[in-house]
Amino acid sequence: MKFSVVQRILGVLLMGFSITMLPPMLVSFYYADSGSLPFYLSFLTSLLLGLAIWFPVRNDRRELQAREGFMVVTMFWVVLGLFAALPFLLAMQPHLTWTEAVFEAVSGLTTTGATVLTGIDELPASILWYRQQLQWIGGLAVVVIALAILPLLGVGGMQLYRSETSGPSKHDKLLPRVRKMTSSFLGVYVAITLACALAYWLAGMSGFDAAAHALSTVSTGGFSTHDASMAYFGSSMIEGVAIVFMIIGGISFGLHFAAIHNRTLREYWRNAECRAFLLALLAVALVAMLYLMFRDEHDSLGKAFMAAAFQVVAVMTTTGFSTDDFSTWPAFLPVLLMFISIMGASGGSTGGGMKVVRFQLLFKQGVREVERVIHPQAEIPVKLGKRVVPDRVIEAVWGFFATYTFVYVILMLLFLATGMDQVSAFSAVAATLNNLGPGLGDVASNFTQTTDFAKWVGVAGMLLGRLEIFTLLVLLTPEFWRH
Amino acid sequence: MNLQPVQRILGLLLMIFSFAMLPPAGVSLIYADGEALHFAESFLLLLAVGAMIWYPVRNNRRDLRRRDGALIVALFWSVLGIAGAAPLLLALDLNFSEAAFEAVSGLTTTGATVITGLDELPKSVLFYRQMLQWFGGMGIIVLAVAILPLLGVGGMQLYRAEAPGPSKDTKLTPRITETAKTLWLIYLLFTVLCAVSYRLVGMNWFDAIGHSFSTIAIGGFSPHDASLGHFNSAAVEMVAVVFMFIAGINFALHFQALRRGRVDAYARDPEFRAYAFLLLVLSVFVSLYLVAENWASEGETDIVRAVFQSVSIMTTTGFTSSDFSAWPGMLPVLLILSSFVGACANSTGGGMKVIRWVLLLKQGWREVRRLVHPHAQFVTKMGNRAVGERVVGAVWGFFSVYVAVFALMMILTMALGLDHVTAFSAVAACLNNLGPGLGEVAANYASVPDSVKWVLVFAMLLGRLEIFTLLILLTPAFWRR
Repeated sequence: MKFSVVQRILGVLLMGFSITMLPPMLVSFYYADSGSLPFYLSFLTSLLLGLAIWFPVRNDRRELQAREGFMVVTMFWVVLGLFAALPFLLAMQPHLTWTEAVFEAVSGLTTTGATVLTGIDELPASILWYRQQLQWIGGLAVVVIALAILPLLGVGGMQLYRSETSGPSKHDKLLPRVRKMTSSFLGVYVAITLACALAYWLAGMSGFDAAAHALSTVSTGGFSTHDASMAYFGSSMIEGVAIVFMIIGGISFGLHFAAIHNRTLREYWRNAECRAFLLALLAVALVAMLYLMFRDEHDSLGKAFMAAAFQVVAVMTTTGFSTDDFSTWPAFLPVLLMFISIMGASGGSTGGGMKVVRFQLLFKQGVREVERVIHPQAEIPVKLGKRVVPDRVIEAVWGFFATYTFVYVILMLLFLATGMDQVSAFSAVAATLNNLGPGLGDVASNFTQTTDFAKWVGVAGMLLGRLEIFTLLVLLTPEFWRH
Repeated sequence: MNLQPVQRILGLLLMIFSFAMLPPAGVSLIYADGEALHFAESFLLLLAVGAMIWYPVRNNRRDLRRRDGALIVALFWSVLGIAGAAPLLLALDLNFSEAAFEAVSGLTTTGATVITGLDELPKSVLFYRQMLQWFGGMGIIVLAVAILPLLGVGGMQLYRAEAPGPSKDTKLTPRITETAKTLWLIYLLFTVLCAVSYRLVGMNWFDAIGHSFSTIAIGGFSPHDASLGHFNSAAVEMVAVVFMFIAGINFALHFQALRRGRVDAYARDPEFRAYAFLLLVLSVFVSLYLVAENWASEGETDIVRAVFQSVSIMTTTGFTSSDFSAWPGMLPVLLILSSFVGACANSTGGGMKVIRWVLLLKQGWREVRRLVHPHAQFVTKMGNRAVGERVVGAVWGFFSVYVAVFALMMILTMALGLDHVTAFSAVAACLNNLGPGLGEVAANYASVPDSVKWVLVFAMLLGRLEIFTLLILLTPAFWRR
């Protein structure tokens, strides 16, 4: 374990992060909302602390090993999550406690989108901008970590993506890989965000709302500048734009990169995971539409159709925007939506959940186990696309699923212990662990009513989800710390 | 696929099962409750149907093969479940769905009931329900010791070499006969001991025998609406705890211990150790939680109830002595979740079985260590033996399919009208062969719609057949030559 390397990266990250306090200051000056001071203080604190951490080890330019990779990824989410809470803590409006500020910041950075704020429409523009921007930064980090770092670490079978031919870098060293991928994806990410903002603006949003919502759409975050979320606009044009860009955000950025690079859309359909993602989206949306129409709980067929399409996409990509209170939808629909958020979006996207590719593999592996019972002697390979998936990956995926389920249950019991009812507790875990945002029952629109302890459980869930659980578990083994 | 041997066995099973109608008829005559005729009719009906199935193929004495085993056990529980509904239909005011639910629940040793006002029912019917569970338990022992290891369902090939009798033989018939005889004797012994113990702590003979049937079978039926709470006696509950604990242990382990006359066979078994440890932790946790929440209003008895309820639910028996669905905080859900762990493999209990959880834990830990040392070879061990990769894969697969089936059934029952809490607990209670749930199904299943009852019947069968045994019957590959 080489702590000095980790320390250097931490310092650089903090200094880099301090710069993100500057845009909200500009927003504050522009809208004259007199909310710039907290950002200035946060900027100074992060910068100076980062400098102090970085300076003693600035010359340590050794290469990162896989083990330090686990540390860096964990610290990225935990430390930046804490520092991101500074402006919330310092701001006069909203007036948040320490717990609430951390919850809001972690929810933003992990692109979860669960909030403890109410009366969002009344908040200063700078704070609103800052929340959206947090999600955007988080989204980029999710993509880079998922495509550059996790494949090298092999978390939950993600070594599958190691040799992804469509990706921009085939480096086997951590830092060069991260640098190369960040610079490639940044361009794609910015381009898609700009397109999204433009589309929102053309569909009728104000300039500020268009930009702000673009930040949380492409990052599949789900924060909004309005209490009513997307329902505020009441425009099916805007909802249509959101649907398209949430889906784009839910697809691997490796694919986007390849598609833009090769100027072809064929890549999407040729990719087994992307295909499964789109088909699953379509299937669930159809079920929801038919059920809503059949139950006739909406004024018109068109409304039911739109509500179902929007809500299914928002939940399955783990964005968490809402146009309709889906927690009051009939029968099994609310629970179905929670379940599909467990599957979530594609690997290498900004979305959360367990990722479509893992579910595909689980399904194929399950079918293989059934076949094995019938033909005990047969050797049956599991294939994804045309490639045979190695046994090591298969076991890693099984293990990931079992651990995910296990963590899910533990968090649910903890939520229950805080006095939540079963529906709220079940959905609160789905909302946080899958980085979704809204749940059902008490947490259908926000986490304001939950106890402080429940908020910390939520923070743990959001971090565990983003760390794909194993990144954190590894740090708890004695082997990790041994030489 | 040649179905004649299966048909022959099915006919024989039905004919044998028809004799199960005679003891309740005898009970009816003793208590003069006027139901003897109904049981006699059921006896003749099942005997005749069984004979009709058996007669055309009576001379087909070809040996059974692996796959036939899967088909037979599936038929055993589904066909006998339906057949077992006959006397209930005749004697009680139940519709077909309710009677089938009750009979399948009995035979799979689930213990979920649709009947209310049990205390008022004819004694013979009550006795019959208890006996169904006891027979179900006998079936489970054969299933678990002889058939699941042979099929390799969910990693159960682990037990292929351990069962008593000529176990390396892949032919089914001799294996079943030998193994079953030995283990049924143990089963009978425990039942007698349990009945005597219940009698000694104050039950009358009828209740003692009836409850011993459903205790050793890990069933959970009771002749009283209030279940074991009816007796309001700590002594009764402690006897139940002891025998539920014993019945939840691997019967092959009991066999080893009895044959050698030593108890250290238990202490050396990793599954038993985990089972005892988990039960202890759960009981202590539930007791402390109740104390901390000031739930204990009657002092000592509440600790007994906490322990009783923990053991009853984790072993998937499903007796109740208090309404645990009203317990505070996480306890109701925690208890229901503990039934997913269940009892040991080769016991009469349900759930996913402790051994699989032990393996899951070890395999999960191995995955974590693999991340630290990507090039090292780690071997999962059970006791001193390395567990094969095939078993590892089968256990992961079993867990995932179990969770998937649970989620699908929960969605389905919600679509058919249950609320979230009821759907969650009803599916868990049936899939794990537990019995009581939360919400609407905390006491009984009388209020759920008929369509849901059939889904739950399917859940009970899936759980009892460890999912894969039933699942393979639904694949085309199974029926291909």
